[in-house]
Amino acid sequence: MTVQAHEGVKPARKKFMTLDFHTLGPLLALIALCIFGFLLNPAFVSEGNITNLLTRSAFIGIIAVGATFVITAGGIDLSVGSMAAVISGVMIIVMNNAIGTMGVGVHIVLIGCVASIALGLAAGFLNGFMTTKGKIEAFIVTLGTMGIYRSLVTYFADGGTLSLAFDVRDVYRPVYYGNILGIPIPVLAFAVVAILGWVLLNRTAYGRYCMAIGSNETVARYSAIKVDRVRTLTYVIQGFCVSIATIIYVPRLGSASSSTGVLWELEAIAAVIIGGTMLKGGYGRIGGTVVGAIMLTTIGNILNLTDIISNYLNGAVQGVIIIAAVWLQRGNLTTLSPFRRKRAS
Amino acid sequence: MQLLKKIAALAVGSAMALSAPAMAQDNITIGVSIPAATHGWTGGLNWHAAQAQARLQAAHPHINIVLVTADGPAQQANDLEDLVSIHNIDALVVLPFESEPLTDPVRRVKESGAFVTVVDRGLSQDGIQDVYVAGNNPELGRISGEYFLTRLGDGDNIVILRGIPTVIDDERFNAFMETIEGSGINVLDHKHANWNRDDGFEVMQDFLSRFPDIDGVWAQDDDIALGVIEAVRQAGRTDEMFVVGGAGMKEVIQMVMQGSELIPVNVLYPPAMIATAMDVTVAHFTSNGPVTGEYILGAPLITPENAEQYYFPDSPF
Amino acid sequence: MGEAVPSAEEPILAASRISKSFGEVPVLFSVDFDVRAGEVHALIGENGAGKSTLIKILSGLEAPTSGTILLDGQATDLPRNGEAEALGIVVIHQELNLAEHLTVAESIFLGREWTRWGFVRRTDMREEAKRILDGLHVSIDPDARINTLSVADKQMVEIAKAISRDARVLIMDEPTAVLTPAETEYFFAQVQRLKSKGVAIVFISHKLDEVMKLSDRITVLRDGQLIATVETGDLTPDSIAEMMVGRELSNLYPPKQEPDFDAPIVLEVEKLTAPGVRNVSFSLRKGEILGFAGLIGSGRTAVMEAIVGLQGRSGGSVSVRGQPVEFKTVAEALRAGLVYMTKDRKGKGLLLNIGLQPNLTLLTLFRHMRAGFLVESSEVEAMERATRRFDIRARDASVRVGQLSGGNQQKLMLGKAMESDPEIIIIDEPTRGIDVGTKQQIYHIIAALAKEGKSIIVVSSEMQEVIGLAHRVVVMREGRRTGTLEGAEITEGEIMRYAAGLKGDREDDRASA
Repeated sequence: MTVQAHEGVKPARKKFMTLDFHTLGPLLALIALCIFGFLLNPAFVSEGNITNLLTRSAFIGIIAVGATFVITAGGIDLSVGSMAAVISGVMIIVMNNAIGTMGVGVHIVLIGCVASIALGLAAGFLNGFMTTKGKIEAFIVTLGTMGIYRSLVTYFADGGTLSLAFDVRDVYRPVYYGNILGIPIPVLAFAVVAILGWVLLNRTAYGRYCMAIGSNETVARYSAIKVDRVRTLTYVIQGFCVSIATIIYVPRLGSASSSTGVLWELEAIAAVIIGGTMLKGGYGRIGGTVVGAIMLTTIGNILNLTDIISNYLNGAVQGVIIIAAVWLQRGNLTTLSPFRRKRAS
Repeated sequence: MQLLKKIAALAVGSAMALSAPAMAQDNITIGVSIPAATHGWTGGLNWHAAQAQARLQAAHPHINIVLVTADGPAQQANDLEDLVSIHNIDALVVLPFESEPLTDPVRRVKESGAFVTVVDRGLSQDGIQDVYVAGNNPELGRISGEYFLTRLGDGDNIVILRGIPTVIDDERFNAFMETIEGSGINVLDHKHANWNRDDGFEVMQDFLSRFPDIDGVWAQDDDIALGVIEAVRQAGRTDEMFVVGGAGMKEVIQMVMQGSELIPVNVLYPPAMIATAMDVTVAHFTSNGPVTGEYILGAPLITPENAEQYYFPDSPF
Repeated sequence: MGEAVPSAEEPILAASRISKSFGEVPVLFSVDFDVRAGEVHALIGENGAGKSTLIKILSGLEAPTSGTILLDGQATDLPRNGEAEALGIVVIHQELNLAEHLTVAESIFLGREWTRWGFVRRTDMREEAKRILDGLHVSIDPDARINTLSVADKQMVEIAKAISRDARVLIMDEPTAVLTPAETEYFFAQVQRLKSKGVAIVFISHKLDEVMKLSDRITVLRDGQLIATVETGDLTPDSIAEMMVGRELSNLYPPKQEPDFDAPIVLEVEKLTAPGVRNVSFSLRKGEILGFAGLIGSGRTAVMEAIVGLQGRSGGSVSVRGQPVEFKTVAEALRAGLVYMTKDRKGKGLLLNIGLQPNLTLLTLFRHMRAGFLVESSEVEAMERATRRFDIRARDASVRVGQLSGGNQQKLMLGKAMESDPEIIIIDEPTRGIDVGTKQQIYHIIAALAKEGKSIIVVSSEMQEVIGLAHRVVVMREGRRTGTLEGAEITEGEIMRYAAGLKGDREDDRASA
C-alpha cells in the first residue's frame, strides 16, 4: 500500500493513538508490578524499600544507558559485567596501593575514580576499535573481552576477593550510602546519566547518527556519516557508563571478586529491550531503558518480600514478567484497537 | 658400626617402601580436579590446592601433581578424561562440581586403575572412591543451630539466607532447622543468596524493610554474611541482631577475633580440606599405613578464644 | 501485439467489486479485474493508484474489505501468507524475493523441497532445476549462488520458480524496472513462451512502450478507481498516459536551456581509475546537465562513487572549480558542494523504518543545531519547505519512509540532497520505478535546478531520459568512456552504438569532453 493524501505532508501531530503502548507499555508493566508488589506486602511502598530499590537499580541502569547507545547503533556489548568486575578490582588495587604513598583521604577516592574512568574509556575503545577497524562482529569481540576481563579479575584477586582497605572504605562509603536532599547518591548519578543519555540520543546529531547507523549502515555512509567513528564512540560511552556504575558499586561492599557483575551484561541488555529499544538497532529510547532497569530490580525485590512463591521458581517468575513486559511494549494490546497500524509495502 | 647401622636403616627403609601398595621410586602422577575460583570459597580451595601441590612436590621428588580447574560439570568431565589419557594418572583427587553428572566420569577413572579420592561432594554411587574427605555439611547446620539456641529463645525472630539451591544447601538448612525445632525461635523467612556478597546485601535489605524485628541472621556462608553486614549497617540496626556465617573466611575470622558484637562466631567449613585429601592420597603411595576410608572433618565453632588457629592471613579466602 | 491465443471465455482469476481500506484510508473503490488463460493483462496507473494493493488481494496477501475473488468462476477466500501459490497463483515481487546465499536450485525449491525420509533430494532437485532453466533457454548454473547472478538472471530464477510451481496465474510487479533493454527483450521472450503455454499473466509496468508491446489488455487504475479495461490495440501510449494521469501530458521533458558557452567548468575529471573504472575523463560546466548513458554494469555508478569518496581511486585526478580534490568521505564532498544521489533508494539512500523528517535532514544535521543541540523546529521547517518544493505526498510526517511510493521516496531523496545546497548534483537513475506523472515532475525539477545555475550529472539506463534531459551525454562501456555526444548527435541509435562498443575508441581519452 502506498500512503498518499493530496495535501502533502502533515506534521505528525496524531501521536496520541500511535505512540501509546510502545512508550507506555513498559511503564504500565512497571506500575502493574508495583501494585502487585504492594498487594503482596505493603512494606513494598515503604520509603526505605523504594530507596533500596532505586539505589540497587542504579548499577544496571547506568550500564544499560550505555548499552542503549551500543544497541541502537546496531552493536552489542557482552563484556560489561566482566568489565565492571575488572574495573572494580583495579580501582581497589590502585586505592590500596596509593594509601602507602599518599595517606588516607578523599584524594585516594579521586585517584580510584580517575583510574576507573580511564579504564572504562580504554576498555570501551578497545571493543569499538576491534569491531569497526578489525571488522569482527561485536558479539565475538565482546564475548572475547568478556572472558579476558573476567579472568583478569580472578587473576588479580588470586581467585579470592579483593578488599578495599578499611580506612578508605570509611571515606568512600558515602558515595553509595550517602544522600543529597534525601536522594541517595547512586539514584542521583543514575538520573544524571539517564538525562545526559537522553539528551545525547534525542537532541544531538550524534544520537541521530547512532539511530541511522543501526537502521542501515550503508545509508548512513552514503549520508556523510562517519560510521566507524560514531560506532566506536558508542562503545566508549558504554565503557564510561560502566566506570560510573563501578564508582558507585565499589563503596557498597568495598570488595571485588570473580563473582562481581556476573550476568550484568544480560540484565543490561534485557533492560534496554524491555524499554523498547530494538535489539537489531535503529531505534533507541533511554526512558524505556530506565524503566526496564527499575523493573528488573523490582522483580527481585518483590520476590524477596513475599514467601508465597517457592524460592526455586524465582527464575521462572522473572522470565514470565520480562516476556510479558516486552509483549506489552510491542503494542500487542493495541491490535485490539480499530486504529491499529497496518504493515504496508 | 656407624656405617652398618646406616645400611641397615636404608635396607629397612627400602623394604618398607617396597611393601607400600605402589612402586615407590617410580614416578607417580596425581591428578587434582577442582572447580575454578568463581567465588570466595572456591578461591580458597584453589589457593590451598596450589599450596599443597608445591609442598608435596617439594617433599616427594618422584611425585608429580597435575592441578586442573573447571568452570562447570561438563568441563570437569573432559578434564578427567584428559588426566587419564594424557597424564596417565596413578591417582585422582576430585572435588566434583555436582554429584550426579560426575559419578560416571569418576568411575571411568577408577576403572583405569587409578586410586580415587573424592572431596566434599560425594558421588551418587558407593564403592567408586577409595578415600572420601569431606567437611560436614549437616554438622555445619547443627553447630550453627546450637549456637542460635544459646543466644535466642522462645519468640525470637531470625531470617536465613541460603546458598545456591543444591544438596549442600539442603543438608545445612535441614540440619539447622532440626536443631532449632521446638525452641520457639521463629524463622521469619529464608531466601537463596547464592553464596554471593551482592545477593546477600540485596536479600538482607529486603528482609530489613519487611521485618521490623529481627534478632538473628543465619547467613550460612561468609560471602553472604559480609553482604548482610553492610545491609544491616546501612539500616542502622547493628545493635538489634547478630549474624552467623560459615566456612572460615579470613575477614570474618578476623572480626570474630576482634570480638565483634555483630558477628560473634563462625562455623568452619575449610577449603583447606583439599590439602587434607591430597595429603592422604600421597600417603597412600608413601606410607605403609592404610589410608582408605572416610575422613569427615569437623565443623567446629570458631569463637574469639580459638579464632587465632583458623586465621590464614595469606590465603585469598 | 494482441495476437491473443485462443483463451477460455471464463477468466481463471477475477476480482469483483473489490474495495479495500487501511484503517480509515480507502485505497481501492469497487474495482473489477480479471485475467484469462494465455493472456497478458497489464495493470497500470500512477504510484499510489492502488496497483500493489490489488495484486496483494489477488494473491491472497491481503483480504479485501468488501467484494469477492473468483477462482475458475467460484467465489473463493484466498489463503493468506502466500499459500495461494498452492492454487497456482504466483507473484514475482518488484524487489525479488530471493535469499542471496542460496543456490539457484535451492531457491527454486525453497519452501517445498523434495524430500525422501526427511532428507532433501539434492540431486533430483538440481536436475529438475536444470530442466526448467533449459526449458526457458537460459544458461544459469543451478549451483550458482543467487548473489553471483545479474539482476536479469535473478528475474529468470523467479520465473523458473513460478514454472516449477505450475503457475496458472503469474503476477509480476514491475519485472523490467531493473533490466537493460537487451535483458528486457530476453525477458519478453520468456513471457511469450509462458503465455503460449496458457499461463495467465498479470503485469505491472511504468514503461508504456513495454505495456503496448507485451499486453493483450490493459487496465488503468487511478486513485483507487478503475478507469478502464481495454484491448491494447485500441490505445496509443498517449491515450494510456492521459488515462493514468487524468490530465493531458503535454511535455514529459522540459525544454532544454543550453548553458552559456563560456560558463565556467565546475567539475573536471581526468583519467580517473578506480575499481570498475578505467581512465575516464570528462568535465561539467556550470548550469549544465550532463547525461551518463551505458548498459548496466558499464561503470557509471562506479565513476560517481569514486568522485564523491565512496570508492577509493587508484589513479587520475578530480578538480572542483579548478581545485584538485580527493574526497575520502561523502562529508568532504559535501563540503565542497558536491552531492551524490544513489540509485539504490531503499538500500543506500533512505532509512525505510523511520519517518520522513529525520531522513530529510540526515545529510545536513549540522544545519539544525544550536550549541550542539538539534533544534526540532528548524527540522520541521525544512520538512515543510521540502514538501512544498518537491511536492512530497504522505499522510503525515510520522509515516515511515518504507511505506511511501517510489516517486515520493525519490522526491524525498531529492529534498535531502538539496538541503545541502549543493553546486554539483549527481543523480543516479532519477526515475527508476516511478510513474509517469512523478517522472515529469522530477524532470522539471532537474531542469529548473540547472537553470538556477546548478550543475547536474544524470546517470540513467533509460535512454529517453538522457536524451530528453541532457545537454551532453557521456557514454560508457566496460568501465571506459567510449564517447561524448552533443546536440544533434544525441540520439538513441548513436548512444546504443557507443554503449554496445560498435563505435568509439577503446582508449578514448583524447579530447577531454
